[in-house]
Amino acid sequence: MKHPLRWVALAVGAVVAIFAVILAVNVGTDPRADLNTSRLLGKSAPDFSLARFDGTKVRLADLAGKTVIVNFWNSWCRPCREELPVLQQWYREHRTDDSVVMLGIPRDDSSRAIRDAARADQMEWAVANDQGAKSATLAYATRGQPESFVISPRGRIVGSVLGPLTPGTMDQMVQAGQQNA
Amino acid sequence: MTTSARRLAWLGLGIIVIGIVVGIAWPSAAESRSEHVRRLALEFRCVDCEGLSVAESATASAAEQRRDIGIRLDRGESDEQIRAAYVESFGENVLLRPASNGIGLLVWALPIAVVLLGGVGVFVALRRWSRQPRLVATDADDALVAELRTPVDDD
Repeated sequence: MKHPLRWVALAVGAVVAIFAVILAVNVGTDPRADLNTSRLLGKSAPDFSLARFDGTKVRLADLAGKTVIVNFWNSWCRPCREELPVLQQWYREHRTDDSVVMLGIPRDDSSRAIRDAARADQMEWAVANDQGAKSATLAYATRGQPESFVISPRGRIVGSVLGPLTPGTMDQMVQAGQQNA
Repeated sequence: MTTSARRLAWLGLGIIVIGIVVGIAWPSAAESRSEHVRRLALEFRCVDCEGLSVAESATASAAEQRRDIGIRLDRGESDEQIRAAYVESFGENVLLRPASNGIGLLVWALPIAVVLLGGVGVFVALRRWSRQPRLVATDADDALVAELRTPVDDD
């Protein structure tokens, strides 16, 4: 070998170039892209059993055959307050529809703050707050609040939105749930 | 230093380095359950925080995750199974340290490969320089130096 140093430099350059190409191809354009999409989409919805403030229990398995909207929220969360009118409007329009159920699950809040907020903001849908709620936030791999999931009547997660819901996304998610009935 | 003394010194240094590496890499056999939970929790990113691990975060979701890790350990799940379950739910991003397989392997392998190849380069360069013959002044060089040192006569 006439110029060993040149060969070593070439080898280092080649290794760096190959790794750079592989990394660029695999990582894609947004390394945090998988933060914005739930990995549970299309999978069976984890079961949960939650206590409502009136003492009654809500169990997901008991809601089989219905489209279930699960909204993870906190009373102190500003984006949750922003989406509240959308949830209230949607609930008013569908409160008599037996095929759809809406559940509010707090992620990180005190029982008292949740109860006060639910009362003050006239959240008439089922709002739960107990140890089961904490388990559900992990079981649904929630990444923040608000985060909403739609569960089809067959018990599959067919939609998820991280961030405030809009009337459009709300309808789209519920339609996706009903199409998977 | 004699050759045998030098060899002994190198052997001693090797034993010390191996001891340090094994001490760092080998988990303590007497690890308690809470230490085990904390060790695993240190590997996971707190989803509600910026750059904090589940072990360090005070959020409710991190507390729930620590509790869940404990439950999984009690069920007999291995560290690898717990890691896989969290990656399955949250994605690779939940790991604070890149995985040591697939694409994550590149993150570990690239610096090592570059350092190894760089080391080979330095070794080859040093060997080449040490083999180059030292320059020795010839009679002609001495004569030239003597000539230059001769005072110049201004007249």
